[in-house]
Amino acid sequence: MSDARPLTLLIAALGGEGGGVLTDWIVAAAMAEDLPVQSTSIPGVAQRTGATTYYIEIVPKPSTDPENRPVMALYPAPAGIDVMVCSEILEAGRAMESGFVSPERTTLIASTHRVYAIAEKMAMADGRYDTDRIVAAAAELAKQPILADFAALARQQGTVINAVLLGAIAGAGVLPIPTARLEEAIRAGGKAVESNLKGFAAGLELTKAKSSEPEASTAPGGPSLPKRLASRIDATYPPELRPLVGHGVARLIDYQGTRYAARYLDRLDGVFLSDDSAKGFALTSLVARHLALWMAYEDVIRVAELKTRRERFARIRAETGAKPDEPVRITEFLKPGREEIAAILPAPWGRRLRAKGPGKPRSMRVRTDRLGGFFRMWLLARLRPLRPTTLRFREEQPAIDDWLNAIIAAAGLDYEFGCKVAGLAKALKGYGDTHTRGRRNYTEIMERLVRPALAGNGPRGTSAEKVARALDAALSDPEGFALERALAADSPPRVQSAASADTVENRSENLQAQGGKAA
Amino acid sequence: MERSFAREVQMLKKGAGEVFEGEGILAITKALLQSGVSYVGGYQGAPVSHLVDVMADAQEILDEYGIHFEACGSEAGAAAMCAASINYPMRGAVVWKSTVGTNVASDALSNLASAGVRGGVVIILGEDYGEGASIIQERSHAFAMKSQMWLMDPRPHQPTIVDLTEKAFELSEASNTPVMMEYRIRACHMHGRFVAKNNRKPAISRQNLLHEPDFDYDRICLPPSTYAQERHKVEHRFPAALDFIQKHRLNETFGGDIDEIGIICQGGLYNSVIRSLQQLDLADDQGRARIPIHALNVTYPLVPNEITGFCAGKRAVLVVEEGQPAYLEEAIHAILRKADVNTTIVGKDVLPMAGEYVAEVMLNGIAKFLEGSVPRNVDLDRVGAATKEVADLKARAAELLGNPVPKRPPGFCVGCPERPVFTAIKLAEKEVGKVHIAGDIGCHTFSTLPPFNLGNSVLGYGLGLSSAAAVAPAFDKRVISIMGDGGFWHNGLTSGVASAVFNGSDGVLVIMNNGYSSATGQQYIPSTGKNFANQPTGQTIRDALRGVGVKWIKTVTTYRVSEMKSVLKEALTGAQRGLKVIIAESECQLARQRRLKPEVKRKLDAGERVVRTRFGVDEDVCTGDHSCIRLSGCPSLTVKPTADPLKTDPVAHVDNNCVGCGLCGEVADAAALCPSFFQADIVQNPSSWDRFLDKIRRGVTGAFMGRAPA
Repeated sequence: MSDARPLTLLIAALGGEGGGVLTDWIVAAAMAEDLPVQSTSIPGVAQRTGATTYYIEIVPKPSTDPENRPVMALYPAPAGIDVMVCSEILEAGRAMESGFVSPERTTLIASTHRVYAIAEKMAMADGRYDTDRIVAAAAELAKQPILADFAALARQQGTVINAVLLGAIAGAGVLPIPTARLEEAIRAGGKAVESNLKGFAAGLELTKAKSSEPEASTAPGGPSLPKRLASRIDATYPPELRPLVGHGVARLIDYQGTRYAARYLDRLDGVFLSDDSAKGFALTSLVARHLALWMAYEDVIRVAELKTRRERFARIRAETGAKPDEPVRITEFLKPGREEIAAILPAPWGRRLRAKGPGKPRSMRVRTDRLGGFFRMWLLARLRPLRPTTLRFREEQPAIDDWLNAIIAAAGLDYEFGCKVAGLAKALKGYGDTHTRGRRNYTEIMERLVRPALAGNGPRGTSAEKVARALDAALSDPEGFALERALAADSPPRVQSAASADTVENRSENLQAQGGKAA
Repeated sequence: MERSFAREVQMLKKGAGEVFEGEGILAITKALLQSGVSYVGGYQGAPVSHLVDVMADAQEILDEYGIHFEACGSEAGAAAMCAASINYPMRGAVVWKSTVGTNVASDALSNLASAGVRGGVVIILGEDYGEGASIIQERSHAFAMKSQMWLMDPRPHQPTIVDLTEKAFELSEASNTPVMMEYRIRACHMHGRFVAKNNRKPAISRQNLLHEPDFDYDRICLPPSTYAQERHKVEHRFPAALDFIQKHRLNETFGGDIDEIGIICQGGLYNSVIRSLQQLDLADDQGRARIPIHALNVTYPLVPNEITGFCAGKRAVLVVEEGQPAYLEEAIHAILRKADVNTTIVGKDVLPMAGEYVAEVMLNGIAKFLEGSVPRNVDLDRVGAATKEVADLKARAAELLGNPVPKRPPGFCVGCPERPVFTAIKLAEKEVGKVHIAGDIGCHTFSTLPPFNLGNSVLGYGLGLSSAAAVAPAFDKRVISIMGDGGFWHNGLTSGVASAVFNGSDGVLVIMNNGYSSATGQQYIPSTGKNFANQPTGQTIRDALRGVGVKWIKTVTTYRVSEMKSVLKEALTGAQRGLKVIIAESECQLARQRRLKPEVKRKLDAGERVVRTRFGVDEDVCTGDHSCIRLSGCPSLTVKPTADPLKTDPVAHVDNNCVGCGLCGEVADAAALCPSFFQADIVQNPSSWDRFLDKIRRGVTGAFMGRAPA
């Protein structure tokens, strides 16, 4: 190919990120150099937060004749892109999927930060796309991959990502346009010139300094713990489990106290003893995580405590970018239902309140920056020492033990099955209706799949798969349709019994019955 | 409006010899001025909204030339405007989005085309086909054929586009026929340049007024004139058009040495054909192809002589024609058959019947044509290698990525006032059961996408209520219809509301009153309160509803989710029969922010007290279920990796784009979701009282605050 072949640039951006302005800068700079240039775009509805692209062709040979120029294309061609710019890493994946990144030609400039797509955000658990694969693919598919968190850089420079990306394009040395021309184009644009130039310089600098260097994530270390508990962990658990177990212990000390944390270790020890070192203690590690979260279930007391912490107020100031002298008013949106109130009452009172039915939740807006609101929350947090007498605490403990027993029994049949039963605790999430739904899903899977399997009903060896499938289904739609389908397919015919609990009322009876057994 | 066109307006003033540079649609606008139009009108819609917008901003130029500009109420109104050119030698241009706009305009267009025109009429069609399109996928071609109007599809090269626009007026006058010019999305947004000519003053205008009305029954669309008009189309207008097209060489033929084959393409696809040939080493860097190409800048009517002349002596010719049915291919077959030319015609056999001809599609189609026709001097190995390279590259990428990359559909903007309405509908459905929802066209159509997935049908602009007419009586509960304020004024008031009242329908209509035609860029509409010249209009939706006899009207601020939910429930289940209209009111957030931002900046700079509101999520309270996201879908409500070493699922997070619309709080409240949300009001430039109070509050609470474990 000769030097008259147009250089092709494709910019993939999200609506509102200034992809159009970035395009205009490049076009203006090319025109100032008398290089024939053509750009096009497909804004349409995509400008409303969707993904869109801008396409530019620049002939690297100057021509001042405005009429007679080479024919330039309006469509980017797969395997025909010289510079692919992506304002976000998922868009880089999309560009590769479409064939716009080729080892022969393409310099790929992509920001590694994430703007999650709606499908990733709305998942009931973790719906995030594995972008490590995109980064790895970029290393293979691009002639020159330049990946960095350009969004963070833009934030640092107090500008928007398009200016930083323009700097990165300049830094990559692929445009037939001198850097000064691009800066001129920013100046001629006339909007936010200073901050854009700063962003441009930062992008240029970063790209020249380094290329593909995705940030390494640091492995979390263990927390500091009281000596007695720390030495107990060290004495029982292998080094690879200690940080995680340590975090569990720390969470429960913070939640209730060292005695409760010790109870956590007692429970975990039981699982660990039946675990298998050949499997890398996968079961203990799963239980360590879920057990700590379950034991530190969120009740009103916990929420009040979390909301009145010094670190929380500092975090809000940082997150909102409030200056030190600026007052920040904070309004909490609370809507405790009767169930939540019953949960923190002494067990007999709580049962009586619950017997009145679900009632209508009362909405409360509490100003925790004000003295009145703050101290209401603060007082609630002070109820912590009384928690072991509350209704929910009394109910959760036997339920936890029941779960642990089921795990150990299941692991005895099939290690994988044990792990899947441990993972069921994932279904227990949220507050209010969300929590009720999660609890119902958990109970359904436990009663209709796990218990029959433990009792020896149904074929052996497939229980792990069934439980995993049911949990996935429970987490795939909030209405529970998928779970019902999965259970209908996988469980033995449903028998109405006290054990098949599916309402809040039934559940509490059920839990009491189990509590009785445990006692 | 979303964009100011002050800079572009300066471009429109360029005189002879000066270089114009800008987007395709603005180049066309300049060509209209160079053609001496007396009037311009249109209805907004991508990809031609800018033509309407720039005219609204170009009052100064319009006044200088006495040109009348009208922001029409609908495409039908715009088409009807062209009636001026039936009686008087006035040039005029109208613009809209095709094919949906052409559908709406068709009644007037048929009459216009039948009566015929004295002054040149050019209809600019923004084709919204393929990637980025937001409408049903059809062609404008059939409209030209059925009404006998001419259809141009210019080669995307700005000097050619401008020249052909000027020629279109001449063609229109030479054949007494309106001319439609279609531009694809990418051509409308194509940045380029051309050498300008002087703008021309129209002979008849607001400065040169008419005095005598023209009466001629031959121009009236009633029998027997209509019979004469039809004959005139066949006997005079059609032949005159063929003559003009041929004489002025509106279509272009490009030679090439491999002349045993050839390509006939729509002008708008010429550049794509060239690029594919370049990829196959069959065209040089300048775009000179080795295979002869006949580019149809006029796609209706075809000039038989040109077609037979091009095809004669060729073994095979490829017809590159986007969309279906394959009108051109069939017409070319017929022309060659009549002329007894035996060239093989290949078209939809190697190119897809449906879908946009993007680069890869074009490359594969041309490659197949070459592989099938086996011309001498074409390296077929090279052809095969080029298509294989693309296929391999995509396969390798798919393999490396493992899973398809999630789609990123368009959605409601940050703080959009329409989103809360759908949150309220979702919550109301939890209590009354699933409801049939007749959707409409507008930003609110995004409700059909995740996370809401609300809306069972979309039938066209302003037709939300009409499209419920037959389904509503067939349901055991009331159905909801949605309509935007844009669609309401476009035709929904008559085709929907007046008709529903007239027929005694029992249903619920939600009208989204955000103040503008917002999906197309916040153009003013009657209920905005003022027109594009900033004159007050005094038109309201409520008055219009009352005027056509609606009794049950409730106005609810969209952000009040609980209130909206209870009003919806009342409308859905209440005893009163008849049409119940909920006006869901709140200004388009984009427009609001554009108005507020400079105002806030001014206040901050002047040291005035400003309270900034935004929402947040306490990440240690959030359990990662994301119900809030499923009920909101706000782009600024997202997820982030959790900092908690025990949790694995990402937590909800409000990013810095939050405009503090309040929906998060309302949702947490109305749905009894979770206590993680908080509202933060930051007092900027605090007064001394603010500071004093803050000092006391922070001092006292600070002494009692708990601490997180280290």
